[in-house]
Order: sequence, then C-alpha cells, then structure tokens
Amino acid sequence: MGLFETAAAKALASSGVFLFMTVLLIAAAKRISTCIALFSVQSLIITAQIIAVSRMHHSTEGFVIAGLVLSVKVIAIPYVLYRIVEELKAPRDVSSSTSSSQSVFIAAGLILLSFFAVRPYVGVLGGDQAMLAAAVALVLTGGFLMVSRKKALMQVVGLLVLDNGIFLAALTTTFGMPLVIEIGIVFDLLMGVFLMGLFVFRIRDTFDHLDVSKLRRLRG
Amino acid sequence: MTLMTNVLQVLLLILLAPLVRGVISRIKARIQNRRGASVWRPYTDVLKLFRKQDLVPASASFVFRLAPMVVFTTTLVVAAFVPLLHGSALLGVTGDFVLLVYLLALGRFFLMLGAMDGGSSFGGMGASREALVSTLAEAPFLLALMSVAIAAHTASIAGMVQWTMGQNFFQFSAVHALAFAALVLVAIAETGRIPVDNPTTHLELTMIHEAMVLEYSGPSLALIEWASAIKLTVVMALLIALFVPWGMASSVSALALGVASLVMLLKIAALVLALALVECSVAKLRMYLVPDFLGVASALAILAVVFTALMR
Repeated sequence: MGLFETAAAKALASSGVFLFMTVLLIAAAKRISTCIALFSVQSLIITAQIIAVSRMHHSTEGFVIAGLVLSVKVIAIPYVLYRIVEELKAPRDVSSSTSSSQSVFIAAGLILLSFFAVRPYVGVLGGDQAMLAAAVALVLTGGFLMVSRKKALMQVVGLLVLDNGIFLAALTTTFGMPLVIEIGIVFDLLMGVFLMGLFVFRIRDTFDHLDVSKLRRLRG
Repeated sequence: MTLMTNVLQVLLLILLAPLVRGVISRIKARIQNRRGASVWRPYTDVLKLFRKQDLVPASASFVFRLAPMVVFTTTLVVAAFVPLLHGSALLGVTGDFVLLVYLLALGRFFLMLGAMDGGSSFGGMGASREALVSTLAEAPFLLALMSVAIAAHTASIAGMVQWTMGQNFFQFSAVHALAFAALVLVAIAETGRIPVDNPTTHLELTMIHEAMVLEYSGPSLALIEWASAIKLTVVMALLIALFVPWGMASSVSALALGVASLVMLLKIAALVLALALVECSVAKLRMYLVPDFLGVASALAILAVVFTALMR
C-alpha cells in the first residue's frame, strides 16, 4: 500500500462529494453544452469508482465495464449530443421553468431527501452512505431536470443523469451487475440517445422549435 | 517571533495588493491580445493620486471626507485576520469570522454613505446597487464561513485554518467543497469583479463600485483604490487559507517561512490566472440576474451548513 494507493483510496471514498457538485452545477447551468460537459465529468467520476471497486475485488469483468462506460458515456454520448447541439443551430440555453437559484435550491433539497431516504438501508445493504445517497440524488435530479427543462435535448440529458444514478446504485450495493446485462444497458442507452437525437431533429423540422412545453396537440 | 511574522503577513498583504491587481489586468490584457499596462501601474496610480488635490463637492458634509478613511481602516483590520504564511494571524485570537464579515460590511456602508453624500445621481445609483448586492451576499458569506466554523469547532479564522491543515488532503469533505463554491461566488460579488460588476468600466448603465467613487479625487480616491486592491487580495488569501492551507509554515523558522511564502505565491498566481481567465470568458450579468447568481451561493451555503450535521 503505497502513498499513491492511500491517496487514491481516500479520494475515492469521498468522491460522492464530486458527484453532488456535478448535480448542483447541472442544476445551475444555463447552457445545454455545459450540461453535456458536466454529464461527461459525472460519468468519468463513476468510471473511476468502477475501476476502484474492481481493483478491490480483483475482477477483470469490472475493467471491461469501466472501459465500456468510459468509451460510451464519457466520450461517445457527449460527443453525439454536442454534434446535435451544433447541427440544430437553435438557441443554446436550457430554457428552464425555474431560475438557476431555484433549481439549485431544489437540487439541494433532493440531495438532503436522498440522504434521509437511504438512511434506513445503509446498515442492510452495506456500502457508504454518501455514495448510496449520491446514487439516489442522481436519480431524483435526473427526473427533476426532465420535468423542469423545456428544451427537448435536456430531456435526454436528464435521462442520462438518471441512468448514471441507477448504475451507481447497482455499483455501491452489489458491486455491479453481470457483464452481459451491463453491456446490454450501455448499448441500449447509446441507441436511445441516437433515437432521441433523430426525434429532436424531427421536432425542430415540424415545429420550428424545441420547446416541449408547447407540444400539446397531435399533428397528422 | 510569531508576532513579527504576523505583522509581516499584514504588511505583505497591504503592500503586495496593488501588484496583484496589476498582474490581473496585465494577464487579462495579454489574453485579449493587448499589450497592457505595466504590473506596477496601480502603485504609480496611487502615488500620483496622493500628490493631487482633494476636491470636495460644495454640497458634501464631513461624511464625504470621512468615508475613504473608514473604508481603508476597516480593510486594514480585516487584513490582520487572515493567515498568509503561518497558521495564525495578528488578530486571530481577538475576533471571529462574524467580525470579519461585518468589518467588510462597515467599510461598504461608509462607502455607500460617501457616495450618496457626494450629491451626484451616479453616486446614489451605485450606492443603491451596492446595497442590493451586499444584502444578498451577506447571508451566503456568513453561512459558508459558519459551516466551516462548525466543522472545525472554532469561530476564529486562524483556528479554522489550523484545523484544516490537520486534515488529510485527499479526504474531500462535502462541507468544504460546498462552502468553497459558495464563497467563490460571494467573493466575486464582494470584490466587484465580473460577472457581478466590471472593475474597468466607466459606462454608467453597468457600473456599481466605479459609480460610487466617481466624485472622489486625490488622496481620498487613492485610499479607496488601495483599499479595494487590499480587499481583493485579502479575500483571495482567505479562500486559500480556509480551503487549501497545506504548505503553510507550521513552525516559525526562516526556512519554513521561505517555503510557505513560495507556496503561497504559487497559489495566489494560480488564483489570479483563474480569475483573469474567467473574467475574459464570461460576460457581465444584467443587474436583475445578480440576485439569481447570489441565490445559487445561498443555496450552496445552506446545504453546506446542513451537511455539517449529516457528515458527522
């Protein structure tokens, strides 16, 4: 156990802090591209956690999953989303229905809520309370982003944040799901993002905007 | 010996403050592809202003002359609270963080009084804007410092710094991360930098601090300018001391202090570079968006205080 290992272990044990910060920053962000970059950072933190967990348990499967998450969630999906934002040539703000300070207040409330929500289960499931709370907080804020942001692209980002939360919950409680399932989920997500990208283009071409709050009637 | 280092710390903060300002504007100029003024320009500015005549508007009362002195003195006293090279400060034992916040507020209050006493409409406008910004910044400032104080079980700034120095560098605490984020936002509002206020503007629609000092001239203006330079440096030193104090001298010896001053120089240089980069890449907020900006700081500070209970 060298100095580096000790430092890495300490940093990872408290990496829930960084996840909370990314959640709060996504809530405060005003541009879609900022949200995408923050999602990428969030996935990078989770990748680091997967590597740490699989090193502790000496599992090679873990490294494969880490590589998969790194290539898909940290690089591929944010890149695709960036391209979509650039190709759309639409206004780049998230057009939130809450101001950024209100969003941060709500995100802070959700973080506290998740701390109290996981408290009874920490003893049963094992794992770090902060990490489990971070997983629940990611799920809740992902949902909050999908509800409060009006741009169609932000629904995708919200879904991705939500998925990160589910992934982290699986990682902290059962040290990850079997490899086949993880591969399935990751590729499902990738396809989902591609499909949502196509949808976003269709929405823009049909309605000339991306505001989902205005999509109230069916059109033939 | 400790007393001497503490006096040295305060003197360093006061005398190097204009240099920090000069370096920031120089780096900003370079990023914007200009050559920029010399880094010693703030010193020559202050010296020049001290030799000039002090003009007082005919309608002004004694408050107009008094205000710059109060502003300068309160900033000096605040500088004596902040550890720079060593984990203690000149007034570290006598006052706590609440005193620090309200000494800054006292200086600002007198600056606003002086601005309104000057009688020009810009002074009143700047003062009312400053009042709005400082009212909104006060709560997150106090709450963020309080969360660190609760975590460190001490109310004195020097005590908090010593406690943080004893912590493991890699053990990131949520309280500190949140309080740091809140304090950075507050510090921007407090020192009047972009995106809350633009220190270089002379456009009446946007200015806050510059509008307040518009009527001042000569030695009074020199005191105000010097005080605002000191304030910027002190707030930077406060952020460094509270959140990344590692590298400060733990014992008072020439070698330890030398190493500490080198490390501190690097940290301040990093902060200055970050500030210049942010100021070049971010646009100034509209006045009505400033409450939103500081609302984010309030949310973070409140969360930091709540986390002190959760993380125990």
